[in-house]
Amino acid sequence: MNMRKATQLALGIVTGVGGFFDIGNLATSAQAGASFRFQLLWALALGTILVIFLVEMSGRFAAVTRKALPDAIREHFGFSFWLVPFLVLTVVHFLVLASEIGGICFALHLVTGLPPAVWALPVAILTWLFLWRSIFSTIENSTSLLGLLTLGFVVAAVQHHPPSGELLAGMLPSLPHHDPAKYWLIAVGILGSVIAPYLFYFYSSGAVEDKWDPSYVGVNRGIAFLGMGFGSLIAFAAIVVAALVLAPRGIEVNDYHQAAMMLTDAFPFWGFILFAAIMAIACLGAGIEVSLSMAYTTAQTFGWNWGEDLNPREDARFCLTYTGAIFLSSLLILFGIDPLKLTIFTMAISAFVLPFVAIPFLLIMNDRKLLKEHANGWISNSVAAFLLVLSIVLAVVTIPLVFLGGG
Amino acid sequence: MKRLDLVRDILDTQVTDREETKMGRVDGLVLELREGQPPRVVAIEMGFVVLVRRLHPRLGDWFLRLRRRVKVRKQACYSVPWSRVLDVTPFCVTLDVEAAETPAFDWECWLRDHIVAHLPGVAK
Repeated sequence: MNMRKATQLALGIVTGVGGFFDIGNLATSAQAGASFRFQLLWALALGTILVIFLVEMSGRFAAVTRKALPDAIREHFGFSFWLVPFLVLTVVHFLVLASEIGGICFALHLVTGLPPAVWALPVAILTWLFLWRSIFSTIENSTSLLGLLTLGFVVAAVQHHPPSGELLAGMLPSLPHHDPAKYWLIAVGILGSVIAPYLFYFYSSGAVEDKWDPSYVGVNRGIAFLGMGFGSLIAFAAIVVAALVLAPRGIEVNDYHQAAMMLTDAFPFWGFILFAAIMAIACLGAGIEVSLSMAYTTAQTFGWNWGEDLNPREDARFCLTYTGAIFLSSLLILFGIDPLKLTIFTMAISAFVLPFVAIPFLLIMNDRKLLKEHANGWISNSVAAFLLVLSIVLAVVTIPLVFLGGG
Repeated sequence: MKRLDLVRDILDTQVTDREETKMGRVDGLVLELREGQPPRVVAIEMGFVVLVRRLHPRLGDWFLRLRRRVKVRKQACYSVPWSRVLDVTPFCVTLDVEAAETPAFDWECWLRDHIVAHLPGVAK
């Protein structure tokens, strides 16, 4: 492996770790730990295994064909086939973006005391300016380096000396002793936040921006496995911290204020500020990714010129897509929608739409004319088949759970 | 001889101009039926109206009516004669045109001149 590849691998892993944790992980982890201690760790473990495979496939596709997924799927299966997944992705992008903006606004509210709605427009402008003025590698590197602050959860989890026996027991699925609807809604939310539907579409566009070629197949495998694996450790740590700090005090997370107490035991003086900083930075990084992802998907669907390295004068439609998305979604927060409720709803919707966005992706991964010897083998396809069955089950159970679980 | 399928390999494929600027996709293909001779491909079509017509003809009509109020794009359907096609690969159709001078770029140019130009400068 040459120097450039080694650097890419290291950067990719950092990106995976720094970019993994977002508002969906924060909300579902805090709720899971506070209400069910370690009992939902299995959902996170399952989601992580599946997302490692999905991200590996998506990067492999982009490296081999030098095409991003939305681009290739419209080209290959035609507009009519791609239309439904495209519309579904657009809705999910919009809701996730609003949730991330809500997260930043709430973090600012924690520090300043001003209501989150006040921050909606300043946050939208900041997110937009960052995208408008930066090239892809700046965005990738700065958000992931800042994202490493989320490792604060891991430090806190280690300081609390979690009981290893209980952690292991939590890795095996078990039935809840109380509030079954809430238990399953959080389980679905964890899966929806880890296997974020936009994630694998975004990752392939990023690989095209980084000009990957077939020699990156190995690097990609390392990034998917280590980046996503270590990234999910942060969500794992957040569940552990919530279980050891919030659960014993009987605090259930119905509001982000309650979650903000998570780090005050481990870091008495600045735990509250650290929590707000982690929340703001994780959400800003994810918000930037989601805005870009929406612009990539739209531009590729219609064949517009696209690329974060181009000047907005050269890809006006691409840049105005993320501009519009950021400002429209910030309106939800401006009008006072509760950021936590929005996030929980969005995660349930993310789980619900998984079959729509996963089916075209898994089909194209088996196209030997496109991928030749890099098409999915039996291991990837077994995981894909399992994911399909799981995603269909999720789609069926999610909506009733949202009503029963009060999401 | 290389073989390309019209629907599988050409319809919906990325279209670029001579300079490799991405200018849209092959939204439609036009065949000419000729008396006593086999039909042949005469043009590719690009435009949102072509696309929605593929979903349902009525959607196309509705879209055309809507278009009368918004006059950014000079032609709803940009039809490029097959003779202007420089190259076809499974991933790309290259046209012998300049993107900025075609109706496919009307919106791009309009947005650039009316919105992007008024937003703060960019140092990329």
